[in-house]
Amino acid sequence: MSGFRGSTAVVGVGATDYYKRGTSPLSSAQLVLQAILRACEDAGTDPRAIDGFVSYAGDSSEGLAIGAALGVHEVRWSTQVWGGGGGAVAAAVNCAAAAVHSGQASCVAVYRGLSEATDGRGAYNKGHMGHLYAAHGMLAPAQVCAMRTQRMLEVDGVPPSTLEAVALAGYHHAQNNPRAVACGQPLDHDRYQGARLISEPLRLFDCSRENDGATAILVASGARVGDYRGVPAYILSGVQGAAAGWTESVENENNYTGAGFHPALVKRLWDGAELTAADVDVAQVYENFTGPAVASMIDHGLCPPGRAAGEVLTVDNLTVERGRLPINTAGGNIAEGFVHGIGLVAEAVRQIRGGSPNPVAGADVSLLIGGPMAPLVSSTVFGSAATI
Amino acid sequence: MTDTIPADLASTVVAHGKAVAAGDNDAVLADFLPDRIGQLIASADVPARLKGAEVRTITEAGPGQYDAIIRYTKLDDHWFELRSRWVCFTDGSWRVSSVRNIPDTPPWMGLTGPSADGLDTAHWEGLRAGKLLLQRCRQCATWIWSPRPICPACHSFDTGFEAVNPVGIIYSWTRTWQPFSQEATGHLPYTVVLVELPAADARRVLGVLAHADGLTPRIGAAVQGIIEQPPDDRYWPLVRWHLDPDSDLETR
Repeated sequence: MSGFRGSTAVVGVGATDYYKRGTSPLSSAQLVLQAILRACEDAGTDPRAIDGFVSYAGDSSEGLAIGAALGVHEVRWSTQVWGGGGGAVAAAVNCAAAAVHSGQASCVAVYRGLSEATDGRGAYNKGHMGHLYAAHGMLAPAQVCAMRTQRMLEVDGVPPSTLEAVALAGYHHAQNNPRAVACGQPLDHDRYQGARLISEPLRLFDCSRENDGATAILVASGARVGDYRGVPAYILSGVQGAAAGWTESVENENNYTGAGFHPALVKRLWDGAELTAADVDVAQVYENFTGPAVASMIDHGLCPPGRAAGEVLTVDNLTVERGRLPINTAGGNIAEGFVHGIGLVAEAVRQIRGGSPNPVAGADVSLLIGGPMAPLVSSTVFGSAATI
Repeated sequence: MTDTIPADLASTVVAHGKAVAAGDNDAVLADFLPDRIGQLIASADVPARLKGAEVRTITEAGPGQYDAIIRYTKLDDHWFELRSRWVCFTDGSWRVSSVRNIPDTPPWMGLTGPSADGLDTAHWEGLRAGKLLLQRCRQCATWIWSPRPICPACHSFDTGFEAVNPVGIIYSWTRTWQPFSQEATGHLPYTVVLVELPAADARRVLGVLAHADGLTPRIGAAVQGIIEQPPDDRYWPLVRWHLDPDSDLETR
């Protein structure tokens, strides 16, 4: 098709520990640097050879500063995706792939780091809740996503059990992941239902809670994967965008109960990958909150809309052992840890590259869905060598 | 109080009121469900010093759930009331699962008034003049909300603000229990509705639903906006939404 398919690959993954917010001993920049250095170790490459830097959502660590700290030979690409908060996470991956595909850079680090000491409380949310929200007590993304989820349940008829299934699937997978903040704290139906309400219909376990930490990946040319250690995860397709009438409109979005992945964007994703939703072996579905995650799976065609969504989105079906659509296999934002969704990128890659705490046997197609119901949304499809 | 109220609950509630009035924080916190102590502390607005507590009523609120209304007297002899919901904890003790100041009053947030970009300034000034003003293109008459620097429909720079009849239907809603800011304390939970305005080509505006205590809104219900004046001039007026009493049964 475009020539983009498979022309680039992720050749390294690195992450810091997840810290309770406000407790990281490292600054945001140090967290990012540690993640990048670990990604380089994973890739078996010299950090000084990185020549591009991409982040999103107003990361406080600018690419040039990170490049200078690493002592890189040359910075050829330094770009941040505008707007959308965590909705831009896959867009950042796609941006790095575009740079490499077009020859603007050869090895691009995609990263996101947060530490409350550096970035302040609620850094994931800066600039997104203006006076027309806040004056009415709408102060947090949880409330916006709750309002959209409420209509999805009440009008569209999507069963509330789908929200619970997303939360329980993440917690289930986190029990095998020693890095996960919820490891050792299993979640069952009673604990989920008994938890306090945050903003209806969302309960505590429907909500991601931010951590300090960082993750980075390295994107290089598909023709050069032999220069790096390990199994490459090829980037088959990537999309980002916002439909007309969607973005930044204080709850006047068209298709209000959707997650923002409009039909033309989703079609470009699957057409670019030369695949369909049915080909997805495993998905990392950004759950800022469970409701938007459900909406994003509906948008992508991973399950039907309305009442029938409940037949596909069950705990059994979303978990590795028995599921046809395992999601959030390291725990996701809700149970592994939340640094603006960047951890989902690492897990999407590890399902191809190896290193997942819950590997899906024979996974060739790994989907990453970025922050749903955000002003900007994005997705990426990763594939094994067998898909090329 | 009625005969159906468990005796141990009644005595627990009386002791709880006394502990609150005495400022015995350890005893108060021990009455809270342990997974939501932070949420409960930040939910109710309670003065630091009190001189008395009186349990007014305890009523059944559902299977195994009871609501207690306790009246607290302040040092100046004025009183206020809190309503707490009590449930049976796994250890057999009665615990508070939620608490609120009654009657319910909407929160006032510091972030009212014109945004830094100035696009919504006329909207806020309209509220001070007693009107709900939304942006509208003077060339093509498109209603523009949220406000934009130019008309997104015809790209005219000639936009203005027009009064809209504050009558509409609930497009969606959420009831917030989490204290996302200190200003919410004493007002939790509160319900925010997203209201579709037929008079502005179905543009939608946000606002708190007034008198929503104990009421679960329905999408499609009719509401009317009333401009509420702020408690002091740090704040700007806000439209609060009121369910139309004649259309309670009108849903979707």
